[in-house]
Amino acid sequence: METAEDRLARARAALEGVQRRVGTTRDRWSAPTLPLAAVLDQLLPEGLRRGRVVAVEGSTALLLSLVAAASAAGSWTAVVGMPSLGVVAAARRGLDLDRLASVPHPGAQAPAVAGACVDGMDVVVLGPRLALSDADRRRLASRARERGAVILSAGPWPGAHVSLAVTGSRWHGLGAGDGRLRGRDLMVEVRGRQSGGTRLVTLPFDADAPARRPAQMPAVQVLGGAA
Amino acid sequence: MSPVPVVRRAVLWVPDWPVVAAMTEAGLGADVPAAVLHGRGLVAVSAAARAAGVRRGSTRRLAQRACPDLVLLPHDEGRDSRQFEAVAAAAEQAVSGVEISRPGLLMIPADGAARFHGSEEALAEALVTSVAEQAGIESSVGMADGLLAAVLAARGSALVPPGGSPGFLAPASVESIALAAMEKAQREEAERLASVLVRLGIVTLGDLASLPFADILARFGPVGAWAHRLASGQDLAPPVLRRSEEDIAVERVFEDPVERIDHLVPVAAELADGLDRALLDAGVRCGRVRITARTEKGHDLARVWRTDVGARAGAFARHMTDRVRWQLEGWLSGTSGTAGREGAPEPAPLVALGLVAEDVVPLGSEQSYLWGGTSGADARAHRALERVQGLLGLEGVLAVAEQGGRSPRDRAHLAPWGQEAPPARAIAHPWPGRIPDPPPATVPPVPRPALVLDAGGGAVTISRRLAVSAPPTWVRLEADPADERARAANRHPSSGHVGRIEGPVWDRPRPVESWAGPWPVAERWWSEDASRRAYVQVALRDTEESQLAVLLAYTSGRWELEAVYD
Repeated sequence: METAEDRLARARAALEGVQRRVGTTRDRWSAPTLPLAAVLDQLLPEGLRRGRVVAVEGSTALLLSLVAAASAAGSWTAVVGMPSLGVVAAARRGLDLDRLASVPHPGAQAPAVAGACVDGMDVVVLGPRLALSDADRRRLASRARERGAVILSAGPWPGAHVSLAVTGSRWHGLGAGDGRLRGRDLMVEVRGRQSGGTRLVTLPFDADAPARRPAQMPAVQVLGGAA
Repeated sequence: MSPVPVVRRAVLWVPDWPVVAAMTEAGLGADVPAAVLHGRGLVAVSAAARAAGVRRGSTRRLAQRACPDLVLLPHDEGRDSRQFEAVAAAAEQAVSGVEISRPGLLMIPADGAARFHGSEEALAEALVTSVAEQAGIESSVGMADGLLAAVLAARGSALVPPGGSPGFLAPASVESIALAAMEKAQREEAERLASVLVRLGIVTLGDLASLPFADILARFGPVGAWAHRLASGQDLAPPVLRRSEEDIAVERVFEDPVERIDHLVPVAAELADGLDRALLDAGVRCGRVRITARTEKGHDLARVWRTDVGARAGAFARHMTDRVRWQLEGWLSGTSGTAGREGAPEPAPLVALGLVAEDVVPLGSEQSYLWGGTSGADARAHRALERVQGLLGLEGVLAVAEQGGRSPRDRAHLAPWGQEAPPARAIAHPWPGRIPDPPPATVPPVPRPALVLDAGGGAVTISRRLAVSAPPTWVRLEADPADERARAANRHPSSGHVGRIEGPVWDRPRPVESWAGPWPVAERWWSEDASRRAYVQVALRDTEESQLAVLLAYTSGRWELEAVYD
C-alpha cells in the first residue's frame, strides 16, 4: 500500500528531473556514461558520456579502443565513411563485430545516413572525409544529445566536447631487418571544450604481454612462408 | 533408464547399408563386388564380395587377394545418411511415421500400421515393396516386441508373435547385443561388454537375462543394466517418429521471362504478402527467408536473408519486398557479390521467383538472437540500418566479420547487412606465415602504391630468394588527395615531370627508422588469384617525435602499401 508520503516523494523526484532537463534549476545534469577501458581514463576522466562529440585525430586504433568497451557491453556501433577500417584490429580491441555495421561510402547522402545512425545506434564513428557542412555537424551534435548517442569523429570536429589529437607515437620491436612491431607509446593532446586548457597524455598502447601468451606468436610463425 | 511399456515394432533393415549407399551413389550394379574402406579395414562388404570371400574388418590387401576385382569405395557417413533419406521417404509411403535409428535401420510402431494394412504380414510386404519400388533397394522387415528382438527379427525376416520375444531372444548369442546400439561409441562399449560376458561363460542372451538385474548393475554399471533390459525383451524408450512437413513457400512462375525490375517488384510484393499470410495461417514465424529464382538459362539462384520478424509485426511484407528488390537488382545487373567470382551464372531473365520460410518457430516463441533477445535498442538499431540501406541500396551497409587468412585484408569478411554469407575461410586453421599481431587499424580496400628507396635513391628490390638489394632508407607514400602542397610539388618541373602527369602524387620521402622482414607469403599458386609477395614492416619518421608504422608488400617488381598501423 502506497502512502501519501511516497507518492509525494515520487512526484518531487519527477519534477526535479524535468527541471534539470529543461534547465529551470541550476544543478548540472550529467548524462549516463558508456563503459570505457581503464587505460583510457586519463584521456576522458569523466568517461564516454552519452550525447557527446569526441574528435580523435591521427589514430584509428585509439578511436577503436574508445568504442571497444561500450561495444563489448552491448552498444551498437555504426562506422560511416571509413572504407579502410581494419576489421581484425577492431575485433582484437574488443569490439563486438555482430553489433558493428559499416557504411563505407555514404557519398552525397552523408548527412541523412549519419542522422539515421545517430537516431538508432549508441556509438557513431564518422570518417574524416564525409560531405558534412558545419551546419550538418551542429544538427548531428544536437540530435546526438537528444538521442543519447555518442559521436566519435575521425578528424577535427568544430565544437567537439573533447578533442584528442595524437601528436606523437613511438613504436618499438622493430630492428634493422628483424623483429616485429610490438607496441608503442602514444602522445595524445587532450583539449576539452569546458576545461579550456590542453593536456598531454602519454599512453602505452598495443603492447602485447609476452609473459601472458608466449605460445601465441612464436618467432617461427613470423618467418614461415609458403601456402 | 527406467523401463517403459514394451512397444510392438517393425524394423526395416537394409543389409550392408554403407556399401549399398556407396554403390548407389557410384552407380554400380548390385552384382559388383564392392566394399567400403575406412582407415585400415573394411567397414561394409557387398553380398557379391562376401560370396567371393571378402570379410568385414579385413585389410585392403587381404580383401584384394580374395577378390581381385573388388571395388573399394571411400567411407562417408554423410553419404550414408543422405542416401537413407530416400529409403525413409519410400517407407513413409506405406506407414505414417518412421524413426531412423541409424542409417540402414528404420523403426516403426507396428500396432496401428498393421491394423491399417490388415495384418503384420501385409505391413511387412507393403514396406518391402514400397522401398524396393521407390528407392530401388532390397530390404528385410521383422516384427517383435521390444527393440533388440525386433532388430534380430529383421535380420532373419521373422515375425515374432506377441509375447514371444524373451523366448526368441534366449538362444541368440550375447554378442548380438551390439546390434541394438545405435551410435558408434555405444556399440564399442556393447562389444566390450559382450566379450567380457563370453569369457565369463555367459554365451546367450537367455543366460544374461536369467541373472539378477541388481548383480548385473553392480558389476557392469549402466551399460550392463542396458544390456540386461534389452536381453530380457524390454524397451528403453518408445520410438521417436519424425514428421515430415511441407515447406512454407510461395512461388510464381512467369509465362514469359521477365527481365525488368519494375515488372518484378509487384510480383515480389505479392509473394511477400502471400508468404506472410501462409506463415500466419500456419501460426508460425520465420527467422530467415530464402529468395529463390530460376533464370531462362536454367540456373537456380538462391540467397538467404535474415529477417527480424519479431520486431516487425505488420510490416513484414513491405520489408521483404525491399529485400527481394535488392536481390533482384543484384542478380539482373550482375553486380551482386557473387557475380565476379567464377562459377556465378550470367545475368539472365527470370522465369520463376519464390520465397521459402526457414527457421520456422511457433508464434510467440521466437528465438532470441545471438545478441540476446529483440530488445528495444536492437530493434532501433536494425531499423536505423534498414533505413540507411533504403537510402544507399543493398551494398551500402556492410556487416563485418573476421575470417581466416594471412594478410590483414584477407582476414576481413564483408557482406551486405542482413544477408547470410558465411566467411569463406575458417579462423581456426593455422595460417602459417600470417602477419603477426598487433593488427593494423587502417587497411585500404585495395593496396595503394608506394616507393621504397635505398640511401642513394634507387628502388629497393627483393629477389626470389628473398635477398633485399639494399636496406630501405626512404619510403614515399601516396599524398593525401587534399594536400595541395604535394600536388603543387608534383606539378613542379623539378619533380622530373614535364607536361601531363601520370601516376600517383607522391608525398615527401620519409626516412626509415627501423624495419623488419621480408616475410614471404605465396598463396593459392594453383588458382588464378595466386599471389606471391614479401611483406615488410617499416617504422617511418613522420615528424620530430612521431613515427608512422606501415606494412608494405613487394610483389611482381613493385611496392604496395598494405596497411597502416595508425
